[in-house]
Amino acid sequence: MDASYGLVWLIIGLPVAGFLIQALIGKRLIGNGSGKRLAGALAVLPIASAFGVAVALTMELAKLAPGTREVVVPGFDWIKIAGLNIPFEARVDPLTMMMTLIITGIGALIHLYATGYMSEEKDYSRFFTYLNLFIAAMLILVLGNNLVLMFIGWEGVGLCSYLLIGFWYKDLANAKAANKAFIVNRIGDWGLTLGMFLLFVVLAANADKLGSHEGRFLSYDVILPNIAGILKTMPGVTTAIALLLFVGACGKSAQFPLYLWLPDAMAGPTPVSALIHAATMVTAGVFMLNRLYVIFEMSPVASAIIACIGAFTALFAALVAFGQTDIKKVLAYSTVSQLGFMFIACGVGAYWVGMFHVTTHAFFKALLFLGSGAVIHAMAHNQDMRNYGNLRKYLPITFITMMIGYLAIAGFPMLAGFYSKEAILGYALANNHASIDGMNFSHIVGWVGLGVAFLTAFYMTRMTWLTFFGGQERWKLIPAHAEEHHDDHAHADHDHAHHEDHGPDTHKFFFTDEEMDAQPHEHEHHHALDETHKPHEVPFSMWFPLVILAILSLGGGWVLSNNHLLEEWLYPEGSMSLALTEHPHALPGGLSLMAYSLIAAFGGILVGAFFYWKGLPKKEGWDEANWSPFRRSAKDQFGYDGAMMSAAVQGGGDIGLAMWQGADAGVVDGAVNGVGRLSGFLGGLMGKLQSGFVRQYAMIMLVGVVGLLAAVSYGIYKVGKQPPAVPAVIQEGRPILGASAGGQH
Amino acid sequence: MQPTGLGLLSLIVFTPLMGALLLMLIPKEQEKLHRYAALGVSVLTFAFSLMLLKEFNGQTFHFQMEEFIPWIKPLGIHYHLGMDGISYWLVLLTTFLTAISIWFSFYVSKRVKLYFICLLILETAMLGVFVSLDMILFYTFFEASLVPMWLLIGIWGGERRTYAGTKFFIYTFAGSIFMLIGIIALANLYGQATNGPISFSIVDIQAAVANGSLWAKAMTLQPWIFWSFAIAFLVKCPAFPFHTWLPDAHVEAPTAGSIILAGVLLKMGTYGFLRFCLPLFPDTIASQVPIIMTLAVIGIIYGAIVAAVQPDWKKLVAYSSVAHMGFVLLGIFSLTHTGLLGGSLQQLNHGISTGALFLLIGLVYERRHTRMFKNFGGLKAQMPIYSAIFLIVMLSSVGLPGTNGFIGEFMAMMGAFEAAYAGAYGLNLGFIVVAGFGVVLAAVYLLYMFQQVFYGKNDNPDNRRLKDIKPWEMAMCGLLLVFVFWGGLYPKTFLQPMEASIGAVRMMAINPVGQRPAWNEKGQEIDADMNLVADGVVIAPAKLHFPLKPPVEENQPEVQVKARFSQDQVIARR
Repeated sequence: MDASYGLVWLIIGLPVAGFLIQALIGKRLIGNGSGKRLAGALAVLPIASAFGVAVALTMELAKLAPGTREVVVPGFDWIKIAGLNIPFEARVDPLTMMMTLIITGIGALIHLYATGYMSEEKDYSRFFTYLNLFIAAMLILVLGNNLVLMFIGWEGVGLCSYLLIGFWYKDLANAKAANKAFIVNRIGDWGLTLGMFLLFVVLAANADKLGSHEGRFLSYDVILPNIAGILKTMPGVTTAIALLLFVGACGKSAQFPLYLWLPDAMAGPTPVSALIHAATMVTAGVFMLNRLYVIFEMSPVASAIIACIGAFTALFAALVAFGQTDIKKVLAYSTVSQLGFMFIACGVGAYWVGMFHVTTHAFFKALLFLGSGAVIHAMAHNQDMRNYGNLRKYLPITFITMMIGYLAIAGFPMLAGFYSKEAILGYALANNHASIDGMNFSHIVGWVGLGVAFLTAFYMTRMTWLTFFGGQERWKLIPAHAEEHHDDHAHADHDHAHHEDHGPDTHKFFFTDEEMDAQPHEHEHHHALDETHKPHEVPFSMWFPLVILAILSLGGGWVLSNNHLLEEWLYPEGSMSLALTEHPHALPGGLSLMAYSLIAAFGGILVGAFFYWKGLPKKEGWDEANWSPFRRSAKDQFGYDGAMMSAAVQGGGDIGLAMWQGADAGVVDGAVNGVGRLSGFLGGLMGKLQSGFVRQYAMIMLVGVVGLLAAVSYGIYKVGKQPPAVPAVIQEGRPILGASAGGQH
Repeated sequence: MQPTGLGLLSLIVFTPLMGALLLMLIPKEQEKLHRYAALGVSVLTFAFSLMLLKEFNGQTFHFQMEEFIPWIKPLGIHYHLGMDGISYWLVLLTTFLTAISIWFSFYVSKRVKLYFICLLILETAMLGVFVSLDMILFYTFFEASLVPMWLLIGIWGGERRTYAGTKFFIYTFAGSIFMLIGIIALANLYGQATNGPISFSIVDIQAAVANGSLWAKAMTLQPWIFWSFAIAFLVKCPAFPFHTWLPDAHVEAPTAGSIILAGVLLKMGTYGFLRFCLPLFPDTIASQVPIIMTLAVIGIIYGAIVAAVQPDWKKLVAYSSVAHMGFVLLGIFSLTHTGLLGGSLQQLNHGISTGALFLLIGLVYERRHTRMFKNFGGLKAQMPIYSAIFLIVMLSSVGLPGTNGFIGEFMAMMGAFEAAYAGAYGLNLGFIVVAGFGVVLAAVYLLYMFQQVFYGKNDNPDNRRLKDIKPWEMAMCGLLLVFVFWGGLYPKTFLQPMEASIGAVRMMAINPVGQRPAWNEKGQEIDADMNLVADGVVIAPAKLHFPLKPPVEENQPEVQVKARFSQDQVIARR
């Protein structure tokens, strides 16, 4: 192994160092607020340098011949016992490096953006602590050479997501959204863990066929070359492994039925939504499917299920997006929907296309989220599109860049999204890998995907028009709808009077009155969104990332698909065992797929523009939910979220209370206390025996003594029964009745 | 066995007792002196136990540092101490957590002298349990630990302390009475089997079990005696449905009592399983596995669900102990190498994590004198450092990878999965699928706990004046945090010394006569691959993993055809 691959530890180490700096001395750096620039720079630099290292490492890797680009960089022993060895190793190969570039590259841009976006935040360093930790965890997820390391990252990013969704924790709704994200993800992790165990059992049972493995059953360099041969005879087990792993992917990548957490996760600061809940973390599921594609391509049944769930999620989320008025919620559902597209790609067997869409989506969705953040920033932290309108006049850079992002996701020709979506639909319509019992689900999901492409263009047009066009400046026309999603910094009203009295505060646990008065009073200068509001463009640190991402959204798709660049990088000739066709031969109506795609994209844009050309109709009270029952039910996700949450929270709470107060206190403990009362009763009876008559006591004593004597004499009888052993024991110089190894010789 | 003198183990075990005697001589008005003397003694004990790091050899499964002094010769009862990989970390955990608890107990101001005497006597009793090789000695220490704990709860406890203390005492005492019967029966069986004197030495008895002579004529007794031990340990663990003493005891106990109760006393139960139930009952253990596994799985789910609705901070953590100890049992009774090691590691991790949780709760309780969630909220802004520490400990309890909680839980579940998938010991996948869901529920109740205390607005005026924790309190927590990360990032430190002993115990439990290792066969060793070797020859291979069930039966042509059909689509590109 070339020494330079050791640099991979630097890629992980830099964000870790950044995390430690922010966590340990971040507050001191910031001081009274003047050091924010320094702290911000120290947060961005590690990520940007990691990106630099990743670029260098990728160039290094590219020098190797295709098909041999796979380097395992050893680290240290982590879990190492007989029969199981899970070392801390990194893996440098095309897939991991591609993910690393996305994570560090987009991550650095979003960090830069966040230094501006969060500049008025009190807990500046706490934010970057979490954000740097996230990058580190995400890098471990992709760079680790075994499934358990991936799992560290997998749960690590979940943790950071939890912490960042609950960043403004004073609002309990945010805390609840954070809990929901973590718990729903844990349900996915439950499946993932079981899948991992099943894979482990299968490999461990075939340990003799694995070559030199040293117990590293869960390492990719042991799994990938061998698993196909082992699972060949076990289609059922293959499907089980694939589906269990997919449960994990459903959780992390927000697929139906576990997508529930992602819309709520928008409670976090917008850079977080862009980085974690759009560009990187949520694509971890797609990454895993690519990582273990050997297993998935062996199971057409699992593939069909994956493709169908992807298609259903894409459709469902696109419909729900129509009912949303919060700009970030629209983008959240759009993310869920686009993730569905990625799973369609993986389901039909075109794994590289899944990664292609991960990449382009990272470009344009990060762009859209950051753009929406700029809009929110300009609109005094109001996220309701019903209060927007005509903003192109005020935010020129944001407007132009977001237009590019919007056209990219809508599938406008030559932009990034067009290429990847086209490839997904092409592979879906042309192949039959995802089949169960000869029923070709590939084809079905292809048509569904085409329909969703139309819907995507439609709802994104709605969002864009409501925000930037329409001539109405609605924040002047109507009162703010949405609650402000911002830290409210409750004024610490110091009520000196009420103080629980536990005597003098000898341990100095509490602040004295003087200390309380000396504390700085927090006053948030928060200006509300009213008719006098004048939006203005965001600072450089915020628009610069927008411009870069816009450029990537413009050209990224073409560059990556040109000459099969990405396909050959990820899956060089001969690495896949599926033979897939790239384009469907004949589609009904005699039109090519290209034509259908263009119809979908332009159709969606035109229909959307037609509906929202002039903004919102005033007569419906500015609320679309009033004029269409569809919007109303789409707004609350057709009741699914409500049903699930009330079942889980209310039902779970009822079960818990019933178990605690009914079963635990009543039955289990009741039995114990019952025994206690019984013995109390018996004790009472016994008490009557204590009559004070000496004769009675003597009688009881006699019985006891006789019993004891009997027991002791039995013991002595047993002891005395073994004279033959004595000489031997003496010979060895042991104590005559020694306890040790009496008759063992 | 030859009498030996007293050695390091006796020193470690009896230093706290000597300290307690010392404390008795100090007049009770000198509270400060008592505090520092007790801390000094416990730190000294910890320092002595650190000498084990050097003395202990993790390569062998035999008892080390054995001490043998004849005691009651006619009955085969002797003062016999020794240590192997199973007790090694538990001793260190005990000395460490006791020192921490005594440090924390500087806050105690009621009857200080008696308090510290109780804690020190308790430490001796706990240490004695882990190093006794004579069953009567073990039993003595086992019961001796009850009295100081009972006093701790009964005198320094909360409002319902009398009820909780009495319940704790009677419940666990009733459980261990059965064990005493089992102990006497085993000693007598040993006498019969060897046609010699009875012996309470676990080494002797295990040797007779290993060569099959002990149970040869008493096979029908085996399950009965197994259960007489198992009941005592299940109560101690505690496993469902014997757990109800635990929440009461925890809630009423003073903080140091809770730390020790969760950190060490519960481990006596799981230690007992490893020391007695696995090595001594090899012919019945397989048929008892489903029963204990069922209790473990019920405990995992039940403890978690009940924890999730508790209004009391400490009670929530107490119920979480039921769930966590369920994972320990799950790992141990999977009888796989991975599972056993995972369960054993989870014991230590639970001691650290839950001990730390009780410590942290105690810090706030000292300030606010309440544990009810309704009195808290929004503490994150008020006490940022405290909340950061609490977050880390909470996550280790959730079992987040990278913290210690993950490794043990993961390995325990992995072992259980392996056994269940192979259908060994009457297990099936239902066990592990349900148990795995306990991990989800752990997130539910622990995150809910965190939210209740730390998130939201700080509305309670009594909390507005709270300062963050003091530097010495941070140092105390920091010591525990070290092990949270150490255990999570480099568990090898903890796994390696245990491995040979665990491997041997596993073989004692599952191997047939002739392939069972014996503690007193000094020629036998466990090699790095967990094979049993004697003089360089493998007597019994490790068989760490199960073979797979045969794939698809031959007489099902339809399935075969379908399988081939799907394979046809998988055509190589080249």
